[in-house]
Amino acid sequence: MTAQTESPQTGATVDRDELALELEQLSELATLVLSARDALSDDIVSRVASALSEGITLLDRLTRNEGLMRLLQVLDKPETQHLLHGLSKALAQMSREIAISPPAKGGLGGVVKLAMEPGTQEGLRSLSLLGKYWSDSMRELHRKGGN
Amino acid sequence: MRILVVGGGCGGTILANNLARRLASEIRSRKVRLTMLSASDKHMYQPGLLYVAFGQMMPDELYRDQESLLEPSIEFHVDPVEAFHLDQNKVTTKSGKTHEYDVLVIATGSRIVPEEVPGLVEGSETFYSEAAAVKMFKRLREFEGGNVAIVVGVPHKCPIAPVEVTFSLHDYFKIRGIRDKVHIKYHYPIGRIHTIENVAKWAKPEFDRIGVEYETLFNVKEVDVENQVVKSEEGTETAYDLLISIPPHRGMPVIERDQMGDGGWIPTDRYKLTMEGHDNVYVLGDTTNLPVSKTGSAAHFEAEVVAENIASIIKIGTPVRDYDGKVYCFIEAGHDRATYAMFNYENPPDLKAPNKSMHWFKMSYNKMYWTSVRGLL
Repeated sequence: MTAQTESPQTGATVDRDELALELEQLSELATLVLSARDALSDDIVSRVASALSEGITLLDRLTRNEGLMRLLQVLDKPETQHLLHGLSKALAQMSREIAISPPAKGGLGGVVKLAMEPGTQEGLRSLSLLGKYWSDSMRELHRKGGN
Repeated sequence: MRILVVGGGCGGTILANNLARRLASEIRSRKVRLTMLSASDKHMYQPGLLYVAFGQMMPDELYRDQESLLEPSIEFHVDPVEAFHLDQNKVTTKSGKTHEYDVLVIATGSRIVPEEVPGLVEGSETFYSEAAAVKMFKRLREFEGGNVAIVVGVPHKCPIAPVEVTFSLHDYFKIRGIRDKVHIKYHYPIGRIHTIENVAKWAKPEFDRIGVEYETLFNVKEVDVENQVVKSEEGTETAYDLLISIPPHRGMPVIERDQMGDGGWIPTDRYKLTMEGHDNVYVLGDTTNLPVSKTGSAAHFEAEVVAENIASIIKIGTPVRDYDGKVYCFIEAGHDRATYAMFNYENPPDLKAPNKSMHWFKMSYNKMYWTSVRGLL
């Protein structure tokens, strides 16, 4: 059995190998950067900078828009999401029913018939309540000076 | 508190937007009112004119609607000031309106006055306006060889422009394959080739390398258009086939008319940026008489200091910053290389060797400018 000892020469070889590897990696990185530099042009740089500039401006406007921030808070609520989902489904259903229904004939009789339907009465009640609460909200807005 | 900003150029716009951000709650609660008066509804990116003169940018790329660059809380009027009544804290405008203020910021800029040198308007090409830059480009396109002379009037906006245009001319003719048919001669009014000593030290060997001849102590006296000769106050003259001029500048006529400063440059405290004798009047950019470059960059750094101080005076009753004379200038050393000069009252610039990355930084800044004037960068 022989004892293994590391000679200073072996250590130097390992260091040189590591250095060579690092240099190779640096060279690879430099090639990548040079390749990107060669592939770019004034026009590309200008276009990217322009998009970035407009993007930053847009982001700034969005993040400092208090109205939008309030709207996002409202949209975060599950209740609001459910309502919007419901509204979306109702709009799709309405669109389909209108497409297959014959055109309205007009006249007072048609209006009376429509008014007697429970769905119409529910709809009018919803619109009435919407008007009521929306008016309250608008009064509050103008009471605060429109901000 | 009524803050009135006169001038919608680089300095005025950055200042107004910066103030609108800092004083958002005060403006919302109507404790502060921020108004801007400008001579135009358009905002021009003036450094882009050099690129227009070499066909590298189109004129329409230089403009944005001024209102689109301003924070919505700023009241904006296209109505230039006709008279300043500083003793009564008010100004009157072209439309006849009067605007009273508690704090006034004057950022009216400068204008070219080539007509002050006989023959310069008729005999030379320049790039200090859109029309002139387009005309210069067309002239360069037609040029097939001969003597090109560059002359510099004083004072002038953008101190780097004379060397930039010289490098660009070299590259332009080289790309067209006629550089060997063109002799370029650069003339400068003082005893070295640039007013900033380290720029002169850097540019001289560059000129030698690319074969640009130079003559210093050449103050343009007149241009003999018929014989195509430009003459200096010092008694020398140069014959030319194409004369490129950096025209002399003055401040706006209203400043001179109201005797607020010789040549239209207002005497300004170099640290506080207030007008001498008027603590509630601030002066920005080209309009000052400060010993710093007349550039958008100087206006930018000054605007940040003034905005911070006006806001702090409103919030805590005292200013918080002094302007240290900071200026940062890109220097295009041709069509694909650039470097930069950054300096202040105490420290001169230390120029690095030009490279392509800096050129692209400048190309990027040409687009990022709009983010900058909005007060974001």
